[in-house]
Amino acid sequence: MQTVAIKPKNGIKISAEAENISPDKFAGKSEKDIQSLEAWMGNQKTTLGELFTIKAEGTGAVADVKVVMEGDFSRVKRIGEGMTAGLVMIKGNVDMHLGAKMSGGKISVSGNVDSWAGREMKGGELIIEGNAGYYLGAGYRGETCGMRGGKITVLGSALDFLGEHMCGGEIIVKGNAGILAGLSNNGGKIVIEGSTSRPGSEMAKGTIIVGKVDEMMPVFKLEGTEAVDGVSYRKYTGDVIVNGKGVLYVKE
Amino acid sequence: MELLIKNGAVFDPANGIAGDKTDISIKDGKIVDKVSSGAIVIDAGGRLVMPGGVDAHSHIAGAKVNVGRIMRPEDTRAGIKPRTKITRPYTGYTVPNVYAMGYRYAQMGYTTVFEAAQAIMKARHTHEELEEIPIIDKGALTLFGSNWPTMDYVREKNMDKLAAYVAWGLLASRGFGIKVVNPGGGEMWGFGKNVTGLDDVVPNFEVTPRDIIVSLMKVNEMLGLPHSVHLHCNNLGKPGNYKTTLASMELAKQVKPSKDRQVLHVTHVTFNCWGGTNWGDFESKADEIANYLNNSENVTTDMGQLIFGSATTMTADGPVQYANAKLLHAKWANGDVELEDASGVVPIFYVKQVSIHAIMWAMGLELALLTKDPYKVLLTTDHPNGGPFVNYPEVIALLMSNKKRQEEIKTLHEAVHKRTKIPGIERELGFNDIAIMTRAGSAKVLGLLDTKGHLGVGADADVSIYDIKPDQTDPSAEHAKIKSAFQSAAYTIKGGNVVVKDGQITATPMGRTFWVDASVPDEQKEIMMKDIRMKFKNYYSINLANYMVQDAYLTHPYVVRAGVIPVEVS
Ligand SMILES: [Zn+2]
Repeated sequence: MQTVAIKPKNGIKISAEAENISPDKFAGKSEKDIQSLEAWMGNQKTTLGELFTIKAEGTGAVADVKVVMEGDFSRVKRIGEGMTAGLVMIKGNVDMHLGAKMSGGKISVSGNVDSWAGREMKGGELIIEGNAGYYLGAGYRGETCGMRGGKITVLGSALDFLGEHMCGGEIIVKGNAGILAGLSNNGGKIVIEGSTSRPGSEMAKGTIIVGKVDEMMPVFKLEGTEAVDGVSYRKYTGDVIVNGKGVLYVKE
Repeated sequence: MELLIKNGAVFDPANGIAGDKTDISIKDGKIVDKVSSGAIVIDAGGRLVMPGGVDAHSHIAGAKVNVGRIMRPEDTRAGIKPRTKITRPYTGYTVPNVYAMGYRYAQMGYTTVFEAAQAIMKARHTHEELEEIPIIDKGALTLFGSNWPTMDYVREKNMDKLAAYVAWGLLASRGFGIKVVNPGGGEMWGFGKNVTGLDDVVPNFEVTPRDIIVSLMKVNEMLGLPHSVHLHCNNLGKPGNYKTTLASMELAKQVKPSKDRQVLHVTHVTFNCWGGTNWGDFESKADEIANYLNNSENVTTDMGQLIFGSATTMTADGPVQYANAKLLHAKWANGDVELEDASGVVPIFYVKQVSIHAIMWAMGLELALLTKDPYKVLLTTDHPNGGPFVNYPEVIALLMSNKKRQEEIKTLHEAVHKRTKIPGIERELGFNDIAIMTRAGSAKVLGLLDTKGHLGVGADADVSIYDIKPDQTDPSAEHAKIKSAFQSAAYTIKGGNVVVKDGQITATPMGRTFWVDASVPDEQKEIMMKDIRMKFKNYYSINLANYMVQDAYLTHPYVVRAGVIPVEVS
């Protein structure tokens, strides 16, 4: 078992890129080695040790690494990028691209996350207790596949373009979501317990389950009603304009 | 500055040198007879030495390349490399930024590259990009096949006016030669239609693709342009199109070359040697094209080799791109260039287990291996249509090793066995063949063999040295070594400067932009200009004064002179 505790040293005002905060990068490394891993602050190259107070104990394989972060990380981007295993627990808020391209392990955040969390995620789990920004679990600009696997749970709400170009995996939002959830969706499952607007535009495949839709796109075909886990939903298929085979459930 | 390359195993096909230990002397950017004892010596140590690579067909600059960048931000992040003290940042794979274009070509030992299609109206953009591509010499072919003045003069059978228009169009675009893409089709696409063969009549102009191709070939030879007509055939992207390709090649017999080169270059044959009648019975007819080339003298081609993985198709062939976008459910950009042409950009991902892609992979290789004379088939991927140019070393290794081909075939869709001849082709090309397909042949096809593609006295001092000892290497067995050596030149020398050492960029001098200034009699030009001025007054959205590429756009020009000479028309 290896535990790495990270706290911000001073208030980070210029956004920092810290993709080296990841169990994969920390596994088997000494405290000193971890402190000397590269990071960027604005356009300046720096180290994790310069930006954060880092305490490491024990050693272990990637799956046995636990990263505990406490404080304000709201200007720290790319935490847990590409991680394959292990655990990252964050008490605070984080900046963009949390857990982007991760394929395994688990990240939990007690606060809010900025845009692009779980971008192009392939596996593993992301739990956000606060709110998420734009493009949760989406593909990056131009990409035809966003999230392909794994699970994202948001206890709060999410902003627009959630699960855009999603090809697999699962996103659950307990609160509301912004406009165009599941835009150009090509697989996977999105559950929004609250409300959203214009979900599933251009969707080709996949499933979207919504509590309330403020505005429906006129591109879905009503198939009747269906019970999901004992609750009655209106079932739609579409987007008919792109010959889509996606399924959209809206609570009655 | 003087440079002496000693102990190289030199392959210089244009001068009949095939692996001999020959010293190469360089002075003031040119190959010379000998240099003084003060020359800097590079000991090649028995390694492979070739003239700098020459690419006669690649899409490296201009409007559609940039549309590709805009619509594919995901591609931009594929090849990111931060700046260094010498180099600016690299980005992209299929649509790299301008800097990466120059660096990556130089790192493979290439020193001259031609952009294969620019509309006159978009030529300023082309040159703005060419001026930013470091190291390599370059030029751009200008589109003439669907231009309204071209079709007017073809209908009137007025070759003098057409010659004057082509000469003026080359000046206006600072272009190097005549490119023809799906002649007539670009105009018809403006009405949502296309031509389906050489004899379809283009409405409003009453000309056929056949008339356009033959007239432009005649005019090309009247003007004595260095390069021939460069043709992207009609019906590209449609099963059965090999017949159209053969019929187009046949047209070359109607015109005699004004120079020691072909009269017609048919490009990216991978996309126009298709048999069958639909996607179900789709098959390769590359062997038929090779057979034609083996029995004719005035047509050359290039492979347009398919590379598995990501590619971006971009062409002035607007209708074929609409069909592609529909078929692939892909992103699609469509362009209309007023009185000149159409265009389209569509990303694609070539997959080994997709039968059509596996068959297309075989087509380029079949063409190169079944055509006896390597001067008739240039090595290209029609970057980035068949795949990005950085994959040339993969193509070289495939051509040199049947073992590699057989290994690859095992991973492909079984259709490659039934619908192509590639599994049974045992021919393996040698270093001399490769030097022709990537150097001497491309320079000859372009009409630049006086200074490019060879290492004789008077040639530009563009040299590449690769980390292979030809006499100690079996390319068939050691194909991985061949590929990695061609990926990363031990030395690239451009105009006498060492620009790459051990695969790393060491200097970034600016290359030149080649264009052709073709003269026609003044009175001929004046008559033609009356029509052009009317076209601008009535139809173009911009003024003539804002149309021409001005000198300021070319900070390193290299002008090739040409002009009207009598032509024999048989
Ligand atoms: Zn091309």
